Amino acid sequence: MMFKRALVMACAMAAVLAMGSLALAADVIKIAVPSPFTGSAAGYGDNVKAGVVMKVEEVNAKGGVNGKKIEAVYFDEQCDPKEAATVGTKIAGDKDLVAIVGHLCSGAHLAALPNYVRVGVAALSPTATNVTISDKGKDAKGQPWSFRNVYLDDFQGTFLADYMLKELNLKKVAVFYENNDYGIGLKDAFVKQAKANGLQVVGEEAYMKGATDFTPQLTKLKGAAPEALFIAGYYAEGALIADQAKKLGINVPKFGADGLDNADYIKLAGPAADDTYLTTPFLAETAGPDAKAFIDAYKAKFKRDVDWMSANAYDAAGMIIEAISKVGPDRAKIREYLAAINTKEKAFKGITGLTYFNDKGDCVKPAYVKMVKGGQFVPAPKQMSN
Amino acid sequence: MTGNKTALKLLGLAALLAFPVLPFSSEYVMHVAVLIMVYAVLAMGLNVLPGFCNLLDLGYVGFYGIGAYTAGILALNHNVSFWLIVPGAIALGALCGMLRGAPTLRLSGDYFAIVTFGFTELVVLFLTNEIWLTRGPLGLPGIPPIALSLEFLGIDWRYDFLSEIPYYYLGLAMVGAVYVVMCRIEDSRLGRAWLAIKEDPLAAASCGINLMAYKTVAFAFSAGVGALAGCFMAQWSMFLAPDVFKFWESFLVLCMIVLGGLGNINGAIVGAVVLIALGEVLRVLLPKLGLPAETRFLVYGLIMILIMRFKPGGFFPTIAATSKKSRLILDLKARLQAERAG
Amino acid sequence: MFEQQLFNGLTLGLIYALIAVGYTMVYGVIELINFAHGEVYMLGAFLCITFIQALGVPLFPAMVLAMACCAGIGVLIDQIAYKPLRKAPRLAALITAIGVSIFLQNIAMIIWGSRPVPFTRSAVPAAFSETAFTLGSVNVSGLQVFIYALTIAMMIGLTLIINKTRIGTAMRALAQNATAAALMGINVNRVISFTFALGSGLGAVAGILVGMYYNTLSATMGYNAGVKAFAAAVLGGIGSVPGAMLGGVVLGVAETLGAGYVSSQYRDGLGYAVMIAVILLRPSGLLGKSVGQKA
Repeated sequence: MMFKRALVMACAMAAVLAMGSLALAADVIKIAVPSPFTGSAAGYGDNVKAGVVMKVEEVNAKGGVNGKKIEAVYFDEQCDPKEAATVGTKIAGDKDLVAIVGHLCSGAHLAALPNYVRVGVAALSPTATNVTISDKGKDAKGQPWSFRNVYLDDFQGTFLADYMLKELNLKKVAVFYENNDYGIGLKDAFVKQAKANGLQVVGEEAYMKGATDFTPQLTKLKGAAPEALFIAGYYAEGALIADQAKKLGINVPKFGADGLDNADYIKLAGPAADDTYLTTPFLAETAGPDAKAFIDAYKAKFKRDVDWMSANAYDAAGMIIEAISKVGPDRAKIREYLAAINTKEKAFKGITGLTYFNDKGDCVKPAYVKMVKGGQFVPAPKQMSN
Repeated sequence: MTGNKTALKLLGLAALLAFPVLPFSSEYVMHVAVLIMVYAVLAMGLNVLPGFCNLLDLGYVGFYGIGAYTAGILALNHNVSFWLIVPGAIALGALCGMLRGAPTLRLSGDYFAIVTFGFTELVVLFLTNEIWLTRGPLGLPGIPPIALSLEFLGIDWRYDFLSEIPYYYLGLAMVGAVYVVMCRIEDSRLGRAWLAIKEDPLAAASCGINLMAYKTVAFAFSAGVGALAGCFMAQWSMFLAPDVFKFWESFLVLCMIVLGGLGNINGAIVGAVVLIALGEVLRVLLPKLGLPAETRFLVYGLIMILIMRFKPGGFFPTIAATSKKSRLILDLKARLQAERAG
Repeated sequence: MFEQQLFNGLTLGLIYALIAVGYTMVYGVIELINFAHGEVYMLGAFLCITFIQALGVPLFPAMVLAMACCAGIGVLIDQIAYKPLRKAPRLAALITAIGVSIFLQNIAMIIWGSRPVPFTRSAVPAAFSETAFTLGSVNVSGLQVFIYALTIAMMIGLTLIINKTRIGTAMRALAQNATAAALMGINVNRVISFTFALGSGLGAVAGILVGMYYNTLSATMGYNAGVKAFAAAVLGGIGSVPGAMLGGVVLGVAETLGAGYVSSQYRDGLGYAVMIAVILLRPSGLLGKSVGQKA
């Protein structure tokens, strides 16, 4: 009896799963967007979703691509490698999904990637910054299947170390990093460059995602009297660090990378956010009319300020859709098209500036510095002269 | 009746063996099936402590992590074959199980539970922070897949597990092996001693059962099985990160055995099937009902509550699986049913 | 610097204690580890800012309202989810608690969004963010004074309720022997509901204080706090209310000093290590009743 029941249950479940993978007749072109939509990273996933929604609606409003509408299919993977691997097989196996915008987290991207490489579908991540990905996205022939239109961790870390010393002439810095791939990658590159430049690192303190109390580490760092605080993490925790530093009387400039770049950082940290310097791929003030239009439309639709994740996701979806319109909904051809964008001249011109890939699928973008002043993001008075 | 049962069992086995070639089985369905098998092994392994010995273990995933990282590091950095790693990892897992168990022998109830929980948090912190060994949060990408090879005999033959199908069959063999071992143990002197400890430690001790020794064996055995599942998972998923071993996973496995019916080996497997498949079914089903991806775990939580509400003892309420085979109990059951009918 | 660390650790510890009390009381009466308690704490904070923002209620009435709502939610959770399982195996209720926790966290995420939300600044009195006084090298902010005053007052109130009132006596009776208590004419279900209401109300206050102190709320905040508070409750001896208070303080101080002086990477680990060490030395927690050693 038991076996019968188990068998019936297994069959029913298999049937439901199979039903899900059956394709409907396609008058739409589907792209997959795997990101965390539940769990503790869901807020970031929502940012990416917003960017993709903007792009897809914009394209469809103009009649779609070659007469076909674009449909983005969202897959929740909770930023969890196990879930991501499962979602990865699902996406790879569904031939209707012609390309992928995602994953959001580097760990999830790495876990899902072997499926994409094996089956042959291009994944363009707007946010995964882990350096390790570069070597893992290639197939046996050495062709990359993983692309990203975001900086790598090491680039921003190095850049900020240079900026602090050369432009602002700061000599002593304390480092706070989130104990994950993003934070560690950023911190390591920063510390390495700082040491090479003679910028003194007076303390390195770790914290876990979701932490709320940073006073022990800050109290300890206060004793070392740093001239600057480098926060290698995301805005949710970064804002708390800035706020608690101010409460403890540490009034020094804060530095961060794209992880802090979100209007919520200012909202959460309040007045403590002032005097924070960030690297960013684009400055709203100096961006072109496309970007301005996007920023306004975004604000009108979602009632919040645009963040870099949404902007990058918007561009990533844009690149995929451009590829589809040029070479058709064909997985291999889309990959070839993306891989061929390999010089500044052939670059994709999006709202985050020019994007082009090297032979590993990583992108090279200029970095700008913006800062928080009076509760607003403004371009920093000093930009790196390079 | 017995003939029917055997036939059903054989049919079930045949269905499982033929599963990969059935028309609806895609890579994705196979992947989910393999994932279920990993959790089935974990559930059977965890079942030993709360199910057989009444010791609530909230940190089982620690051993899973120890096994996985052992396999990941050895395979990636030292190119050790999976078949050599397995016994080593099981031994290491068992050792860690004993180490964790030894000081907790005198604890009971929820104090034991919280120590197991704390232990796992320490394991995960170790995996996160000892970057020199585990690469920490950067993860271990590119772990080689399992391979069959005769190279050590000097024969140039090698088969790499590149798709889900070989993992499916290997997983099936693993689940089968663990299942048979569990059933044998449950029916042995060891299993009966465990059940006695579960029912009443004091009475068990006065019957001459050495609590320390039997509990230590349970710790080692349970941990070893967890490490085995970890090895398999590491070389199957080819990527590890400390995030994979969050304590939610311990709870998930615990939910499986409670949902299946605590202490019941078949229940552990059914629990794994139900909870893993549920997540995937909801992923497919909810968008069809017009609900966004964000509601997936809302429904998941709700279904868990409902199952416990209407089946508080799980799908297969605890009667030791063996007792169902025992002549004595079967007769008793038949008599009771007859009486009730009459 | 040490004094400052210690002081901050105490603040954190008091908040843990406030949550831990809720765990321990529920455990005392029905022997259930109520994993949904962390979620009630989160809901308290969100309800409070919702009252402030949507209805324009000032801070203190909003706190009381949120407390009342959470007390109701606590009772509701018990009635709907746990009550049918009173006679079921203990683990069934535990799994239900986990299910409730998942459910509440996800529903909060759908209602209030998945990104962190700041506490309404304008509602918080300005005096809270200023330094109230300096004691040696320690800066004490107005908010910290408020947290100390409120938590300590609540603990005293709670102790009085448990020790001096009829219903408190009934709670203690229930904790000792539920059957005997019922035979003595105690309305068991009413006492359990009261316990849930009381614990959930305190949890809501803790959530609001944390929201104000750190100026951030998120749907996932209940998870970490819940786990820590549970550890604190066990550390102090689960089922013992003074034990939970002490456990919370010990855990908060251990964690803060650990992060300040030992290693910030192993911060959470140090809390657990202290907890394990205490339990191994005193198998029933700091102030717990020693359970009859079976064998």
